[in-house]
Amino acid sequence: MSLLLIIALVVFGRTMYTRIRLLMALEPADRFDQITRRLKSVAVFALGQKRLVGRKKERLSGVMHAFIFWGFCVLLIRSLNIYGEAFVRGFHLPLLGDHSLLGYLYVFLKDIVEGIVLLMVILALYRRAVIKPKRLHNSWEAYLVLGLIGVLMISDLLVDGARYNLISLYNNPGHLDFFNNPRFGSEFNWTPISVLAGKLISPLGAGANRVIMTMMFWLHIITQLTFLNILPLGKHFHVITALPNVFFKSLDYPHEKTKLLDLEDESVWEDESLGINHIHQLNWKQGLDLYTCTECGRCKEVCPTYTTDKPLNLFDFNMQLKEELLENTDNLIKRAALANTLPSDGDAENTEKIKAEMAGLNSQKQLVGDVIAEDTLWACTTCRACEEVCPVTIEHVPRIVGMRQGQTLMAGVYPDELNVALKGLERNGNPWGIGYDKRADWAEGLGVKMMADDADVDYLLWVGCAGSFDDRAKKVSTSLVKILQKAEVDFAILGVEEKCTGDFARRVGNEMMYQMMAQENIETLNSYQVKKIITACPHCLNTLKHEYPQMGGNYEVVHHTEFIYQLVKTGKITLNSSLGGALTYHDPCYLGRYNAVYDQPRSILQSISKNGLTELDRHGPESFCCGAGGGRMWMEETIGKRINEERAGEIVSKQVANVAVGCPFCLTMIEDGMKELGKEEDIKTQDIAELVAQNMA
Amino acid sequence: MKILTTVKKVVDVELNMHVKDGALVEDGMQYVTNAWDENAVETASQLKENNGAETTLVSIGGGDNTDIIRRCYAMGIENGIHVDDPALEKADSSIYAKVLQKVYEAGDYDLVITGKQAQDTDSGQTGIILAEYLGLPCVSNVIALEVIDDQHIKVSRSGDTGTEIVELTLPAVISVDVSINEPRLPQMRGIMMAKKKKITEMDLAALGTSADEVGADAPKSEIIEFMASQSRQAGQKFEGDAAEITAKVVDLLANEAKVI
Ligand code: SF4
Ligand code: SF4
Repeated sequence: MSLLLIIALVVFGRTMYTRIRLLMALEPADRFDQITRRLKSVAVFALGQKRLVGRKKERLSGVMHAFIFWGFCVLLIRSLNIYGEAFVRGFHLPLLGDHSLLGYLYVFLKDIVEGIVLLMVILALYRRAVIKPKRLHNSWEAYLVLGLIGVLMISDLLVDGARYNLISLYNNPGHLDFFNNPRFGSEFNWTPISVLAGKLISPLGAGANRVIMTMMFWLHIITQLTFLNILPLGKHFHVITALPNVFFKSLDYPHEKTKLLDLEDESVWEDESLGINHIHQLNWKQGLDLYTCTECGRCKEVCPTYTTDKPLNLFDFNMQLKEELLENTDNLIKRAALANTLPSDGDAENTEKIKAEMAGLNSQKQLVGDVIAEDTLWACTTCRACEEVCPVTIEHVPRIVGMRQGQTLMAGVYPDELNVALKGLERNGNPWGIGYDKRADWAEGLGVKMMADDADVDYLLWVGCAGSFDDRAKKVSTSLVKILQKAEVDFAILGVEEKCTGDFARRVGNEMMYQMMAQENIETLNSYQVKKIITACPHCLNTLKHEYPQMGGNYEVVHHTEFIYQLVKTGKITLNSSLGGALTYHDPCYLGRYNAVYDQPRSILQSISKNGLTELDRHGPESFCCGAGGGRMWMEETIGKRINEERAGEIVSKQVANVAVGCPFCLTMIEDGMKELGKEEDIKTQDIAELVAQNMA
Repeated sequence: MKILTTVKKVVDVELNMHVKDGALVEDGMQYVTNAWDENAVETASQLKENNGAETTLVSIGGGDNTDIIRRCYAMGIENGIHVDDPALEKADSSIYAKVLQKVYEAGDYDLVITGKQAQDTDSGQTGIILAEYLGLPCVSNVIALEVIDDQHIKVSRSGDTGTEIVELTLPAVISVDVSINEPRLPQMRGIMMAKKKKITEMDLAALGTSADEVGADAPKSEIIEFMASQSRQAGQKFEGDAAEITAKVVDLLANEAKVI
């Protein structure tokens, strides 16, 4: 026993040690703050299995998994008991002996749980082999692990079954221990399933039962130790890493914010160390993410690119990165050790030498091109649907943006179509490239104040590029102005002084252009001492609110739907429920998933619609992207089906007359989708501001 | 192959121009690389990448042209020359061509690539006059280019009757149209690295010439006055019921415009 245990633990320990050292060799990430909140998220996501049980569409498999997980927690205690018993006869963990009710309750729980887990394993096997859900990859590993779990349960039940037989039918020849506290009765009154298992083998006689008991005991131990050592090798590593991964998840923003790169530092350009081009540039949390992927496929099932036949399949994406990571284990560990020897005294010669040596240990493979295909990288709309459903809270988007930074900043390779938009940004501060002096033309004659004339206002209305230059979105700006004026809100706009927030530049990895935009905007905003901002663009909202603080821009930013909601609530405007025909709402990704604004738009729409609000199949946190985010607005969509048509089709299937949106890009995409489907006459696509302006008292 | 590319700094025509007292209002104006010259730079960069050409650019006038030249470095150009001189303030195409001639003669170039015209004056003369001064073959409005060998290139030009394909013996001058390529955006890394790269600054004397020699004292053409173009009056828009609109339009045409 000792030998077995030592071998198993040493092998396991070694694997784990290497895996942890590999993580420590990666880039730093700050995830040790706010311990209480972290523990809470472990409670919700891991112990509570929120994303497994919480999703309606996946309830069955979620419940199955949850029971297996909870079962494992219960049985972990049992295992400790067994190993203890192997060394000390009658061993029990404190409090779980036969002198307390707790001990009995545990025995009961363990018995029931083993039965349930066994049932779940059978169900899971059935589901994999017969139902074959599309998102699953049917790997041998999955069957092996399910099989092992099954064997664990059966063997343990048989150990207890045989024990019961020997004690109760054959007068306990070996003086086996069992609970027999006069207060609670015999242990076996508490273990119906083991007794049932015992019944199955009782006809075999005392001798056979003894043999079975011993064999099953060893089978159980050996299976368990094998299982332990198989875990780190494949997707079941998540059994070990999921809890820490959830513990270390991002807290204040749905995923790790894009790092503010220091572009003035010459050495980063010379060393080509910006962005993620090589596997060693991942940070340890991103590495842990890769360890933890359970290969469940939930992410790809909700991904707007995968579901419209584009090559981005997150499942493969993760696997390929993980393979590359593990392949480079030794070199990365060596590389990190070298990095620690870099002189801090500025000894140039030595630094060069070490840097050259480190470069020699870099993986030969470029992440984009050799490991991940270019089309795959650029397909992502950064919609975050994948992250929202991942049961182990893996963060895909920051990794994708990091790799795009590598491509844009270092390699200079990115989709050509982006050039026009980026040049527009460079010259005129907007992706359309329209003269910056025309930015406030839309507001002419509306009586809107300019900050330059009067900065002493309560709110700044941040119009955004679409709202300023796109003919369709200008109508939204006009509607919003009408609402604000009606509610007598004291506001002004920046006019020609406003520039693109830089959102799309940042998502396509062009950190330089982003920082240029952000810096100029922040200077302008701070010079007017702006405190509160209203905007109709969720992308602007997200950047102003979450990204500008990195560069010294701190403002209270609200989306116009949040603001209108407040205006209605405080009675500043009154809505008529005069909108006829069925109405639905498309959640913009950067409003919903990024900023958790789901209820206010719905509440407004409920108030103006005669017929309430029809929800789309994919709505709220699982809303389906319109296809414009992540800079995709400015790229061609040449592969597969068009995402916006897919979404428009979903809206059409709901037989509504109106679809409301809360984002100028969604507005374009959905409206275009409707046109493509020939439905633009039947289904009107409008921004919530437009609907409110039409239905105000 | 050694290539000389010309790059002009021009006012951004995306912006509304305002005229006051016969002069442009400088306030709020911004300057950019002439769009056609970006195509010329892109053509040169491609020749560098695909045919190992050596690339030099020259920019004349404009005061501080550092940003513009660095941007071209980041697009792949290797050397930059900036010629500026107080005498060049009123330069026209002919004077530019004279200065370019001097630059050309100081180097040992096989091909001069210019943009077909500049966005500010739209005259489209400089490249052609330069070829004339140098006595070199010239093809304007080039929309495609192919290298045959060290001495020969084949270009397509968009002519009045269709695409003309011309074979040229080098050295030669070509001017390119926007349709020849899609200029790349400068590489970010290139921009940062370009900060360290030198720009050769010269005035006319350094170039070995004088205001007199290039004709700067007596420009052949001169801008006398700027005038704002008459903007068309906004038309009337009709929205709503088709029958009503028709009636309204007919009424307006008959009674207000009195055309029917
Ligand atoms: S990333 Fe998350 S959702 Fe996607 S396969 Fe892995 S565990 Fe499942
Ligand atoms: S962010 Fe959206 S588009 Fe990108 S991989 Fe995730 S689900 Fe797909």
